[in-house]
Amino acid sequence: MELNDKTLKSLAASLNMRQMRQEIIASNVANSETPDYKSKRLDFEEALARAIDLDKSQAMKTSDEKHYNVGGGGFKSLSPQVYEDPNGDIGVDGNTVDRDKEMAKMAENKILFDASIQLFNKKMGLLKYILNSEK
Amino acid sequence: MDVLTSMKISSSALSANKKRLGAISSNIANAQTTQTQEGGPYRRKVVVFESRPVQENFSETLENEINRKSESVRVKDVVSLNEPPHLKYEPSHPHANKDGYVAYPKVNVMTEMADLISAQRSYEANISAFKTSKSMALKSLEIGK
Repeated sequence: MELNDKTLKSLAASLNMRQMRQEIIASNVANSETPDYKSKRLDFEEALARAIDLDKSQAMKTSDEKHYNVGGGGFKSLSPQVYEDPNGDIGVDGNTVDRDKEMAKMAENKILFDASIQLFNKKMGLLKYILNSEK
Repeated sequence: MDVLTSMKISSSALSANKKRLGAISSNIANAQTTQTQEGGPYRRKVVVFESRPVQENFSETLENEINRKSESVRVKDVVSLNEPPHLKYEPSHPHANKDGYVAYPKVNVMTEMADLISAQRSYEANISAFKTSKSMALKSLEIGK
């Protein structure tokens, strides 16, 4: 088992992304009554799926380190998309935040974050077991 | 972007809502105040919220690097509204004018109560967001334990 394989990298990436998402959601909840504030969203699922590229379907051959890493597990260039939610309902004061939706998103994000932490810990536990198994 | 910034954002909202609560309390307490220090009846106070991009440290501000997309909130201004007062006919009142009318503040206690509940919900939601951010940070410390 590689010490820094795709599982660990993708879990670490998802932890990072979920923390960023939490920041955006906190920003939305804090500004849920600010006039003219537009609700923001952070998407990373697609970018992460491309980076993981489980079936190597998107890999392109690179022969030089300066070549762009297109598909095939490029975690270095993983960046989320932050944009204004186009589906927000504009309130009387120009605000588009639906606070209940944001709270629901936050709960979902937290649960999946906890799940990623647990998976990460299990993987670490496995490595520790292997390292200790010589005794 | 990190989880400590999330906590800053949530706490900025807590402060803003506290100030909002202060304005509401002032309005409710002074709903019948016919004379103030500046003269005239009490004028209803309203807070104006404003969002601001979060700037983590001085070097970011120095280089004008506002690439964080998240925004904190603050109270831009506490405005005393200049609405015409509510006139009531009470000739025996010490503050009555020459026609016997007393100027009462234009404060509707029902509106203020609704705003109060709204401020409280907002406060609770931000507390919840803060708790979530804190929990995420603490959980990350448990990795590998």
